[in-house]
Parts: sequence; C-alpha cells; structure tokens
Amino acid sequence: MNFLLSLNKKAFAAFCFVFIIFILFVFLLTYYTSTNDSKNKININDKSSDISEPKFSINSKKQKISVTAREGNFLTEDEIVLEKNVIFKSNKFKIYTDNVVFNKRTLVASSQTKSKFISNNTSIDSAGFDIIENGNIINFKGKTKLILK
Amino acid sequence: MIKIVIFILIIFLNYKYALSRNIGETEITTEDGIEVFQEEKYYLLKKNVEIISDEFRLNGNLVKIYFEKDLYDIQELIASSNVSFISSVHNIKGKGEDLKFNIQSQEINVSGERSELFLETTEMFSDGSITVNNLVGSFSIEGPNSKLISDDILITGFMINGTLFNQNGNREINNLEVKDENLLNIITTDTEMFSKKALYDKKKSIIELFDSVTIERGGEIITGDYGIFDTNKNAYKVTSKKSNKVKAIISNTK
Repeated sequence: MNFLLSLNKKAFAAFCFVFIIFILFVFLLTYYTSTNDSKNKININDKSSDISEPKFSINSKKQKISVTAREGNFLTEDEIVLEKNVIFKSNKFKIYTDNVVFNKRTLVASSQTKSKFISNNTSIDSAGFDIIENGNIINFKGKTKLILK
Repeated sequence: MIKIVIFILIIFLNYKYALSRNIGETEITTEDGIEVFQEEKYYLLKKNVEIISDEFRLNGNLVKIYFEKDLYDIQELIASSNVSFISSVHNIKGKGEDLKFNIQSQEINVSGERSELFLETTEMFSDGSITVNNLVGSFSIEGPNSKLISDDILITGFMINGTLFNQNGNREINNLEVKDENLLNIITTDTEMFSKKALYDKKKSIIELFDSVTIERGGEIITGDYGIFDTNKNAYKVTSKKSNKVKAIISNTK
C-alpha cells in the first residue's frame, strides 16, 4: 500500500496546521523585529537634521558619482551621516540605501544597511557597501546576491 | 481540507525557488560580499560562492570574474579553493583546487591535487592540470598522477595531449600523445603497455610506443625500443635498434 495512503489524515492535517502556524509565527517575528528597528531609526532621526537634501560628488578621471540624500548630519568635521533615500549615481550605475557615512575629505562612503546596486543588465543586493579610491572600488559586504541578465 | 493543506504546504516549501532567478539570468550568491574593481574590470566574489545559470552551475570559495564593458559582459572566470562545476548543456563536469574558464576561447582549465574533468565518455584526472578547449577540440593533462579513461582504455603518464572529434554529439578521442620519463602506462582489455612516449591515431587504429617499450599480455612480456599496437586486430609488434636484443612479433587476432 502507498505510504501516503496509510497516514492518519487527521494527524497529518493537524501536523500541517501546526507547521503552518509555526511558519507564520516566524514570519511575524521577523516582520515585528524589522518594524521595531525602523521605529528606532525614526526616533533617532526625529531631531532636525544638520543638512537637508545634501548633495556631494565623488570625482575620478573616468567617472563622476553624485551622492544625494534626504537628510545629512555631521559626525565629525569631515564625516557626514547621510540618511533616507541615499542614492549614488554615475553614468554606469545607481546604488540605493538608507544610511551612509560619507567622508567629504577622503571621498570614502560606507554603509551598513541593505543596499541595492543597479546597472545595465545587472543588480546586486547586499548587506552594505564601501566605496573607496574615488569610486574605483565598490565593496559589497555580507551576504550578497548578484543577478546578471 | 487535506488538499488545501497540502497545496499550502507545497507553496511554502517552494516559495524560495519561485522567487529565485528567471530563465536566461545568472544568479551569483556569496557569503562575504563582492568587490568590484571598475578600472581593472573585474570583480571578486568571496566565500561560499555559488553561480547558477541555465547552462552551468559552479561552486567555489573565491571567484574572480573579468568583464569587458559591464559586469554582465563576462570574459574570464578564475575560481579557487575547492571548485566544482557541472554543465548539463555542454556535458562537462569537474572539480579541482583552481579553475580558469575563458568565455571567448571556450577553454577550461582545472588545476591542483585531485583535479577531475569528465566529458561524455572520457574521464580525465591529474594532480597537476587538465585543460580542454571546446572550440579547437583539444585537451591536455599534465602533472603527477595524470590519467585518462576512455571506453576500454586507461592511460597514465606525466603528459597526455590529445584532440577530440564530435560524433553524434559525443566528443571522442581522435589523436593522443603521451609522454613520461618514468614510463607511461596504457592498459586495454587484455594488454598492458609501457614506454617513455606513445602516439595514438584513431583513424589508423594504431598505438605507437617509443623508448623502453614493454608489452605484456597473458604470461608474455616483450621488451624493445619501438612497439606498434593495432587496436582493431588486437595485434602488436616490438622491434629493437640492436639486433641482439629481444625482437618479437605476436599476433592474437580476436
């Protein structure tokens, strides 16, 4: 006899029900944690920012990367935290994220938040990134997924 | 009720695959990020790298990919640290410490200890390097413990070079050149051959043996300076430069 037919249907249904509840619980927990994090972030940002809609650029011989955000706050004389809708844009790519520390003297940008890189037929999702050497090197950090079309 | 629960279960268990890459796309995942060098035109994929496309699948710990214009425009792939790959479309699979693949020349090189590369009916092994050029139809196995297995023949030698021809979608061996200063070894179903150099010609169905030749079959051992083995007739002939050395002709037609 088929093994599946020999299973107790009620017991199997009960097991599946518990399993689905467990999966939903995991999803809800993940969602709750992420929303809680964003609430904390909003609380931090409640204060008025040092710069609204800051704009910078990273220039090299071969390309110009413009950096825009909704808010900017000075960490030190040279370091600025760019927050909310931070976009790095060159003629070859765009990087979207929500929090970047940008050094306007060394032109080094560093993000520890989820980032999305979009270029011609290419997308990269990572847990953060560093832009160094005037934009020549982009280091996508943590678990990273690259899709080539 | 049961059917609905099973349906939901199937959806839950497969949602990851449903959200993964589309047809024609290449998906690359890494544990420790990607470094993109725009001027040098390459990117480094770090730790537990997995590359999945319609044509092949590759796993490695460090992968360097050279590109031409943009990241998708891949020219060359260099993978290191326990690399394995499989391409069901091109009927090729292998593994080794390092791998180099050039897209334009369609040349694949696997190197390091216990390197392996399998084609349809040909298996290649080496502790040195294995190179197959799909465009030209050539291959090279070089280094210690280099070995080639194809149909009913097993060849070991320090250097095994050859060409392939395509017959009904199967890549088969056309010519072979084998060299080993410490004696190469060729084993067929009932004969074992040793020499320093050997040439194989598929069209002529002949294996030629040069220098320090020994042919063993059954209880017979024949030695000389030159040997010729007819794979069709299963017959061989051994000759020597010096007339006082052993010289033999033995025929054993199937």
